[in-house]
Amino acid sequence: MASDPDARPTLAHRSVSNIRAGGQSSARDSTSGAPNTPLARPLSSSVLGSPSSARAEEEIIIIELGCRKLRVGFAGDSTPKRIVAFDSEHDKRAGDYRAWEPGYEHDWRKRTAGKAWGSDHELCQLDVRGQDLGLVGDKLERVLRDTFTRYLLVDSKPRRISLVLPPAAPLPLLSSTLSTLFRNFQIPTISLLSSPAMATFAAGVRSGLVVDIGWNETIVTAVYEFREVQTWRTIRAGKMLLEETRNFLVNAIQGRTAESQVEGESTPKDIISFEECEQVATRMLWCKKSEKTPKQSNTEGLPTLHEADESDTADPAEDSTPTPIHLSSCKPSKTIQVPFSQLAEPCETTFFETRYAPACFDDHELPLHLLIYRGLLQLPLDVRAMCMSRIIFTGGCSNVIGLRGRIFDEVSLLAQEKSWDPIQGKGADAYRNNPKIKRNASRQANDGPIPIIQQTDPSGTSGEEAVPLDPAHAPPEVDEVEEHIRQEKNYRAPVQGVLRAIDSLGPWCGASMATQLKVPALAVIERDIWFQQGVNGASRPNEVDVQAQQKQQRQSMGAGGLIRGQGNQATSWTLGVWGTV
Amino acid sequence: MASFTPYTYIQCPCYDLSNQTRHSDGSPSPTSQDLPDDDDEDHAFDPRSPRFNYSLYPLEYLLYCVDCHQIRCPRCVSEELVTIYCPSCLFEVGSSSVKTEGNRCTRSCFQCPICVGPLAVQSLESAPEASLLSVDNAAASGPTGPWALTCSYCNWSSAEVGVKFDKPQGIFAQLSKLRNGSSTGTDVSLTSGDVSPTKRDANIPKPESTRARFSALRTFNQSQLANSNTGSSMAGGIGDYGFSSPAALTRIMSIYSGSTSKPKNKASVMREADVPNEGFRTSNLDESESILKLRAGGYKGTVTMEQAASQVEEGAHFADELWPVASLLRTKRAKRCPACRHILSKPEAKVSNTRWRIRLVAGNHIPSVTIKPLPTPGVPLLSALAPLKPMQYLLTFKNPMFDSIKVTLATPATTPGRFSSKVTILCPQFTVGANSDDYDLNEVLKAEDRDQRDRRREDDGSHQVEAGKVFERGRNWVSIVVEVIPASLQIQPAPSLLQKAGEPEPDLAPLREDEDILEIPMFVRLEWESEPSQDQVGVAPSSKEKDAKEKRELAYWSVLGIGRISQE
Repeated sequence: MASDPDARPTLAHRSVSNIRAGGQSSARDSTSGAPNTPLARPLSSSVLGSPSSARAEEEIIIIELGCRKLRVGFAGDSTPKRIVAFDSEHDKRAGDYRAWEPGYEHDWRKRTAGKAWGSDHELCQLDVRGQDLGLVGDKLERVLRDTFTRYLLVDSKPRRISLVLPPAAPLPLLSSTLSTLFRNFQIPTISLLSSPAMATFAAGVRSGLVVDIGWNETIVTAVYEFREVQTWRTIRAGKMLLEETRNFLVNAIQGRTAESQVEGESTPKDIISFEECEQVATRMLWCKKSEKTPKQSNTEGLPTLHEADESDTADPAEDSTPTPIHLSSCKPSKTIQVPFSQLAEPCETTFFETRYAPACFDDHELPLHLLIYRGLLQLPLDVRAMCMSRIIFTGGCSNVIGLRGRIFDEVSLLAQEKSWDPIQGKGADAYRNNPKIKRNASRQANDGPIPIIQQTDPSGTSGEEAVPLDPAHAPPEVDEVEEHIRQEKNYRAPVQGVLRAIDSLGPWCGASMATQLKVPALAVIERDIWFQQGVNGASRPNEVDVQAQQKQQRQSMGAGGLIRGQGNQATSWTLGVWGTV
Repeated sequence: MASFTPYTYIQCPCYDLSNQTRHSDGSPSPTSQDLPDDDDEDHAFDPRSPRFNYSLYPLEYLLYCVDCHQIRCPRCVSEELVTIYCPSCLFEVGSSSVKTEGNRCTRSCFQCPICVGPLAVQSLESAPEASLLSVDNAAASGPTGPWALTCSYCNWSSAEVGVKFDKPQGIFAQLSKLRNGSSTGTDVSLTSGDVSPTKRDANIPKPESTRARFSALRTFNQSQLANSNTGSSMAGGIGDYGFSSPAALTRIMSIYSGSTSKPKNKASVMREADVPNEGFRTSNLDESESILKLRAGGYKGTVTMEQAASQVEEGAHFADELWPVASLLRTKRAKRCPACRHILSKPEAKVSNTRWRIRLVAGNHIPSVTIKPLPTPGVPLLSALAPLKPMQYLLTFKNPMFDSIKVTLATPATTPGRFSSKVTILCPQFTVGANSDDYDLNEVLKAEDRDQRDRRREDDGSHQVEAGKVFERGRNWVSIVVEVIPASLQIQPAPSLLQKAGEPEPDLAPLREDEDILEIPMFVRLEWESEPSQDQVGVAPSSKEKDAKEKRELAYWSVLGIGRISQE
């Protein structure tokens, strides 16, 4: 991935060839199939003409693909034109109007019988084993056609599509998606963009730790200079939250307390419908503050004063005033009275589960704060310094009130308690506190309010460091290159080493902006080649000699003036990170 | 139980094609590896397979290309925009303004964010005054003061969320100004899509709305890209020639100023945005205000998911964050056959006219099928099918074409799925007479009368349902009998003695949705002879026999929904 040229938005010449190829292949659509010599490329107006002409005809559609939701819109817009949430209404036959019959809503038990909880509401599962991928394609096709017709108001002219995908989208799913798009819509090229990189782009930064709290899983991705360095994932995400909410609501309906429920036992699925559960989860859930607040870092300025009424002064976490919630999908419909403080419980159990020791969790179910902390800990030092001050929360569940703040606080707490020391445990503590082997080295890492990365943590590599001339204390050599960079007039030192959360406009907006600014995509797939070769035609990303490709383009540019060869796009193309199996 | 109306669905033949390509693309999909035997079953037509929900259409949804002689479903037509208009004010919108101003009506058409009712502009102040004023006075002064959008159905008013307007016209512009900050300068640069570098330095207020932030961030990135590109070598400058105007400008400047003043070789570092003006924002992690609001407002104070989904921008959580929704524009579309570009349907371009100029519906070209139970004497008609009891149904094929067609039907002997009912078509092959429009109505009526009398005479003896014989026949219709023996819907494991070792576990899941409906997959093949179409005559004039008829055929799968099987 390190050799990816695409992460750098400066390679504008590649984007030009892509665009022109896009325009060309639409003209070639009729003669697709047979191998044809590349048409002679006239100096089109887009090269020598005014820049605006190229813009006017380009109307690129951005699609962000998620398991539950689909965002569709045009490049350059600040918001998607439509956000589709998949639901059971989408898989009806055409002309099935039974949804309008009276009493239809009360029949949900019959409709969902024999299906997995909430499976109607998903485009696909991440586990593609045994899944009908054709069905995924069909669902996607119907939703997209509807969106194009009703919201984008476009006709069936060929237009390019940028697809924003999570970097670990399974290859079969990607293949099915691409086939569907190419076959059903007249699309000359599809570019693939990675959603964490786009989320960082939409935050205005070049590195960051993207915490995507999605439906199936929470994905924490470290992005450094638009390259994904590492990802970690946990199943503590929307699906789990909804299941917790269901348990919570069913207990409330049946008048049980949460304590009386047997641990790990899940409640029956036919008491309350998925839709209503989701309603309650999106509307009413909130997240408590952490019990111990971390020492305030003064970057935030003064803490905001709550000018609350006298009646509101009670801490919401201890507030037990009942909140009525009307549920109509249970039998009989009922208004439950839930103490307000308890509405934070599902969040607590889903994302944090502070009751248990960190050692209890399997690798796939780490609580969020632990995952983020451990992720940061695994990162190389300078990457960590950049990422920790650029924590970006995205994904549907990050909208739960208070959740982002809570995660952030928990991570800061962990960092305060443990500093950034990968060695933990009683032995390490004993060693550290042992006065006999205490070195004279001053350990500053624990002193600051927030651990600041200044030097390599010496505790891990002891031994040789007893020499009086500790290299950690030697003044760093003057780096001439850095000095030059510092002298640039626009240079501002990047914020690093401080925990900080920043706000992103979201992957879709990032992709919209990147596409409008002609930032080359990670991978561009052309229609003809896809139909000829399919997913197996894609080379592994590391097999493609990017440098040679660039060189060739550059050479032909120099020799033929503005006329560029086709490059060797036809011979080797990749699916970017998605092609790595 | 709701009453059941028998139905017919037709599968557009375009489905088969897509199925093949999916298989032949040879993707190493785990499905094909894990379930190799599933592939063979795929070819058997199971109307209950979830994929078929996407390719089955009622006859009314289908179009027909008269050149290709193919059914065209909504999935296999290519569309062209004819008119874009607002469904609320019927104002026609040009496609260029849709590009710049978005897909919503920019006049004063708004929908209520709570219900979906239309909103009306009402004066906040003078509503009580209006009744007191005399007529001429009212005309002279008129209602004044701030205006608000109100819903006449649920009484929601935009004043509730603090949205008031100075004048009753141009609500859309006023609203977007309220929403996206007061500065119109950012809006202009946003819609034009081309931000000149000078504008960047203009005093942009701290961007609050998504839109303002987006444009600030974009301007920032653009300037960074431009800077780094000018700093790079000449090739880089050419590379983005014509695409980002600041770079092009500097390049042109460098050409004119001669090669003596080379651009600086030093590549400037692309930096990150770090002030709010550049679209950068640190998260507001302290959401205790929202928590208090949630506590105060309760369940009713939050928006439902449907309301949030209907909003133009996402992110509304509380009821006071709802904005009026500008009504979505709608389009009239012409449809073409993707293969031969023949127009399949074309609406009248005028908004107020609902007629079609051209509309080639499939109902004019393929026979329609109606299903009704054949009353057997002595047995009362039930709303649901009794399991394991033979029932006879009458299928009536009506030919809309002016040529007589030969119909061949095929069904599997048992319906696919967990509960397989037995199906027998008593007469799978028959000819349906042509539909003609050059008849005299009186004659037809007389003939039909005669027919019926004849039939009654015949029927007097025995109302025979005979295999291989058409049950009833008219001028352009034919009825045949299909016999079904509905399966029993009981879910129980087969006795262990009968279970074979190699067989997969029987599916003992509870009854799924619509699994109790008896659906018969039926393959219909039509053959007819028609006049050669005009185009082909033009291509090959005076070829062999002019009056020779051309043989045509069309085949498709269809699904007959017969009825619900009752559950004991």
